[in-house]
Amino acid sequence: MSMAEAWEITEDEGIVTQAYPRREVKRKLKAIIEVEGLSKHYPPDLKAVDGVSLSIKPGQVFSILGPNGAGKTTAVEILEGLREPTSGKATIFGIDISHDYGKIRKRVGILPQNFEPFENLTPVEALEYWAHLFNMTKTSKDIDALLESVGLGSKKKAMGGKMSGGEKRKLGIAMALINDPELLFLDEPTTGLDPKARRDLWALIQGIKKKGTTVVLTTHYLDEAEKLSDDVAIMNKGKVVARGTPDELIGRYGKETLIVLVGVGQSAVDELARRSIVSHRENGNVVVPVSNPKELRTMFAKLSSIQVEFKDMYTRRQTLEDVFLNLVGQKMDEGVLRG
Amino acid sequence: MSVSRILAEVKSYGKQYMRNRSAAFFTFAFPVLMILIFGAMFGSGSISKVTVQVQNQDAGQYSQAILDLMNRTTMVTIKMVSPEVDLTDYIKEKSLDVALYIPANFSELISQGTMNATAVIAQLTLYGDPSQSIFGTVASIVGQAVMQLNYNMAHARPLAEMEVKHVAAEGYSMMDYFLPGVVGITVMTNAMYSMTAVCASQRSKGYSKMLATTLLRKDEWLISKFLFYTIMLILSLVLTYVVGSIVFDMHSTLTPMTFLLIAAGAFVFTSLGMLLGTVIKDAESANAVASAIGFPMMFLSGAFFPLEVAPSWLQLISKGIPLTYFNDALRDTMVFGNDMSALTNLAVVGVVGIVVFVLASRLMSWKE
Repeated sequence: MSMAEAWEITEDEGIVTQAYPRREVKRKLKAIIEVEGLSKHYPPDLKAVDGVSLSIKPGQVFSILGPNGAGKTTAVEILEGLREPTSGKATIFGIDISHDYGKIRKRVGILPQNFEPFENLTPVEALEYWAHLFNMTKTSKDIDALLESVGLGSKKKAMGGKMSGGEKRKLGIAMALINDPELLFLDEPTTGLDPKARRDLWALIQGIKKKGTTVVLTTHYLDEAEKLSDDVAIMNKGKVVARGTPDELIGRYGKETLIVLVGVGQSAVDELARRSIVSHRENGNVVVPVSNPKELRTMFAKLSSIQVEFKDMYTRRQTLEDVFLNLVGQKMDEGVLRG
Repeated sequence: MSVSRILAEVKSYGKQYMRNRSAAFFTFAFPVLMILIFGAMFGSGSISKVTVQVQNQDAGQYSQAILDLMNRTTMVTIKMVSPEVDLTDYIKEKSLDVALYIPANFSELISQGTMNATAVIAQLTLYGDPSQSIFGTVASIVGQAVMQLNYNMAHARPLAEMEVKHVAAEGYSMMDYFLPGVVGITVMTNAMYSMTAVCASQRSKGYSKMLATTLLRKDEWLISKFLFYTIMLILSLVLTYVVGSIVFDMHSTLTPMTFLLIAAGAFVFTSLGMLLGTVIKDAESANAVASAIGFPMMFLSGAFFPLEVAPSWLQLISKGIPLTYFNDALRDTMVFGNDMSALTNLAVVGVVGIVVFVLASRLMSWKE
């Protein structure tokens, strides 16, 4: 039974019926993962995860977004059965993770953070080996199809240690998919990759979602979370500080519309300040936030009357980056909080 | 426990291991090189001459007699040191391991002794570093020469003498005695050093965490390593034995007990390596930690040096080392053909192996 066949999503309730092929029983689950008050404390006083509660629906790409040290990986590793929580409860497929992870493990795929493939194994050998560790035997046709699906069709005979960063992550995802998982954890899959490799992986993740697999993704890239996610939890200092779809978050925490003046500098900010107009610099431009879209026309008129030489002017809605800045009070660059 | 997972782990690890040239070198080339080097040094059975520096201040006949007796053993080359120099300074300056001093009144005192029973006894002085084997050899030769001189002066003849016979079967060479030690060291270094490094590198590269996300269990992983090293070490032993037999005409036997012992050795030392690996945080310190445990074991097990002359507390320590029993068992079966005695030592190795295996698989964490 394929993943798509295993899950049927009813439109009215968002309730999922999963046919369990092995046990031939049908159960109704609203959420594939339920987390309640999950905490992980390290002595003397580090609260890596501090009372996190989440509910993740089947078939979604769920992103946990936050800077380095926010507690994303710790939270996910608890869900992956790699760490013991200090307190709280979590279930996956309705099974308590602290009681019987063995039953869960067969049904999840995991790409750990900073994944490195086996240096002296080819992708084909690595996948054959990995399949056996899940008590499965894959034919060479299965392996070839999986490698093709992740874009490694031409790298079947390359040694793991000689592959590029993007290829290594793709192999990691292929290994995580070897057991046809219903749930896939991807821990910072694009960190450190070049823009092209990142875009390739985004396409791959979108393809995996289309097949019906639920994806839990941790990332510190705001554009990645916005592009890929159906649902986002923003974490900072071990807590979930905001939760919702990218649109909901932008609507809730980034209500302002932004007018962008292209090709002007600090002098423009100073000039606007003299006219009591709040603005800030951003990527070589000056941005003027307008809280009420109805005031846009007035603001345009004001800006036209001011002697500021800009090359171009346009408006944009706020992004998750702006939401993050509003929520945390700092910008995030490569996972590091700045400003 | 899943046989399929264990075999998959053996196959995958085997491929990775054999593609790593340094690992393959240490498994196959290292023991062969060891046997060739030691064979070249000692394999002929003849002992090369040792050089001894002698300062003779005596011009009499008896000092010359001593030197003649030493020469007659054909085991020494005597080099004379000028009577003018200070011998202790000379020894320090030349970093000599051994030197013999014959005092000026040596012959005169002996002559007096032949006439007067209460006369002062003539004395030679042997300077040197007792930690060097050459010192012991020269001390024995000089002692023998002095004894012979005493016999000659007393017109006595020995009434008893010693005949040397090897306890092993006819035709056994020194290399046959040496082979079990080489096998023991190879098994220990390959299994223990490799496993310590593998555990550390698996952790630092995140492989352990990856394995924890599969259905593979820690005990299955350890069993797979034990199986792999057993196969590799048996192949290595056979290769070493074949090379040794062809080059040095060795006659020791690869008994079925030998193969059982290799498996037991692989079991105890892979487990020990894994146990060490549980306390090592990074791959860089793995070799240092394995060496800190491995080298003392190598020397205290009696693989290369007899421990009978060592202090009793050191002998006590050697009794607590699994390599001691492993080497003894190999010698029992390969040299003496005594499988009953080997079985006793095998039992000790097996019990230690089980204890270390249980400890290692409990203490090793693939997760946090």
